[in-house]
Amino acid sequence: MLKMKTLRLATRDYKHEWQMSGCFVLALAAVLGPMLVLFGLKFGIVGGMLDQLIEDPANREIRPVGSGRYDRAWIAQFRQRQDVAFLVPRTRSIAATLQLSSEQSSRILNTEMIPSDDGDPLLPATQAAPHGMRSIVLSQSAAAKLNVSAGDRIDGSLVRRYQGKRERVHVELNVAAIAPAAAFARDGAFADLLLVEALEDFRDGHAVPALGWSGGEPPEQRTYPSFRLYAQSIYDVAELKQQLAEAGIDVRTKAADIELVMKMDRNLSTIYWAIAVIGLVGFSLSLGASLWANVDRKRKELSVLRLVGFRTGDIVWFPMIQAFYTALLGWALAIGIYQGAAWAINDMLSAQLAQGQQVCVLLPEHYVAALLVTVVSAVLAAALAGMRSARIAPSDGLREI
Amino acid sequence: MLPPPIARHSQYNSARPSQRSTQATVSFTLHTPSRDRGIIYHLRNVVLDRESQGVSFRLNVPSLQITQGEKIALIGESGCGKSTLLDILAFIAQPSEIGAFRFRPENTGEPIDIARLWHKRKLNQLGELRKKHIGYVMQTGGLLPYLTVRDNMNLSRHVQGLRDDTSIDELARELGIARHLDKLPETLSTGERQRVAIGRALAHQPSIVIADEPTASVDPFAAEKIMSLFIGLAEERNITVIVASHAWRHIKRLGLRRLAHHTQRSSDGRTTETVVNG
Repeated sequence: MLKMKTLRLATRDYKHEWQMSGCFVLALAAVLGPMLVLFGLKFGIVGGMLDQLIEDPANREIRPVGSGRYDRAWIAQFRQRQDVAFLVPRTRSIAATLQLSSEQSSRILNTEMIPSDDGDPLLPATQAAPHGMRSIVLSQSAAAKLNVSAGDRIDGSLVRRYQGKRERVHVELNVAAIAPAAAFARDGAFADLLLVEALEDFRDGHAVPALGWSGGEPPEQRTYPSFRLYAQSIYDVAELKQQLAEAGIDVRTKAADIELVMKMDRNLSTIYWAIAVIGLVGFSLSLGASLWANVDRKRKELSVLRLVGFRTGDIVWFPMIQAFYTALLGWALAIGIYQGAAWAINDMLSAQLAQGQQVCVLLPEHYVAALLVTVVSAVLAAALAGMRSARIAPSDGLREI
Repeated sequence: MLPPPIARHSQYNSARPSQRSTQATVSFTLHTPSRDRGIIYHLRNVVLDRESQGVSFRLNVPSLQITQGEKIALIGESGCGKSTLLDILAFIAQPSEIGAFRFRPENTGEPIDIARLWHKRKLNQLGELRKKHIGYVMQTGGLLPYLTVRDNMNLSRHVQGLRDDTSIDELARELGIARHLDKLPETLSTGERQRVAIGRALAHQPSIVIADEPTASVDPFAAEKIMSLFIGLAEERNITVIVASHAWRHIKRLGLRRLAHHTQRSSDGRTTETVVNG
């Protein structure tokens, strides 16, 4: 049991020896501070790199090479897979264009139509996906050229040669949203598969009753030449690629890039952990050694306490309380060192970083973990040393000096 | 390992004047304790062996009895085992062998079997006895540098949970350190520090005070003054005093019983044995 008098005596001793206590605190912070900076860098850089890699949908994209014949059943079945995040079929690319024009611009824009759906990785999750035949999401480039923004109405038109005649039809479209620049670099529009299918049907001479376009009977069985496929995570890409290859579907992925970054991450992590383990071992040893030495230094005073009748428990608490102070203050100082260093590093590199991105980052739980490791190892080392002091016959300690 | 045999008994018995060891066995009993008073310490065949740097040392106490109110002096050169005996009596050094070791601080009740407590390593129980009944004055004061004089003196009281009263102030006045009560020990002279140490040993009103060369580090003049002050205070309070010193001259006059002891070295100089009887 910790007694008030022990706490008071230990605190007074710690304050009285403020220079010595300060040295212990400094020594602790000098080891812990750089460790925190190192960890912050590893967490910021590798974490950021991985996030980028994982977040960038381009890395999860799996593109079929050439064209095949995929029916709805295959698409529906493949979409069920756990490792597939998004799958929509594509129509023939030559048929998937639309001429767009708006009142705000004199230009007529030949636009690629990209079949989309809920959960399209290229579109922000917060944005509504285009639904139905009269809604599209424009790429930034297309929106700029048409001088429109979300909510505007634009005109889409396309031409076919049917039964020897040239026919042009129009469809009024609502701009549901503008996709971010990164989503699609060219002039394009994300649309419901229904609309993209309608464009193909019309060009093939079929009627599209929903849009009032006349023509022949709608096609009975639809097959798609291609699809847009995104894996659940970058780690699924290689497996999906292999399985598609086994099914005779040749695909192109960024597997090589992913492998490279993952390898880099592994290597960086190995290096980091090697440094961290060496650092941690060194940190614990230096902390333990200094606290041990401190208890040894105080053996005479502890023996005096023993002489006036302090119990073994009180004697052990004494160095533990002081080690706790050292751990707490050292940790706080190390946090200060880290904050300064992190601010300087982030400030230095801010020009090369995206908005809000940081090279040196620690989360609150990292601070807490550092505090726990420090306090536990400090108090433990002090307890062991204190126990050793308490065990020796008091006379040995008294006669030392 | 047993020390090399030394011809203890023959020398002891024959008491040849030519032997190399110091032999001082005269007992001065100017202050005569009445023998019917209670026996506080009873030691029989208590031995403590110590070895350092190839030299072994043995303190042998065939028989020692100290009665209440006695003032006892242990006189001898440093290294003869005075401190070791004091440490045994203060329960801070564990003897290697104990025939019997009984302690009866109050006149009432059964004697406490110290041998058993040591055997069971009941350091906390020994500590309890010490903090209640014994005051200890260390050679170098042993004051805690982070406590004021007052708090240092109060330490022995606080550890027993005694309330603050005017006793510390009175004691400080008697010791001539009243004006230093709120200073830290580092601002005091060596002599003043020893007075504080004496004050701390007396503050909790123990029945026994053990002092290990309390005046060794002060000049002879101050030493005599401090020593007589100390013995006087103990006398007033009817406290049993056991004091070790290397200077008999000024203790003689204070009326202490000198404990007979006798030290001898083996011929190769590697073994020292001190025998104490009294």
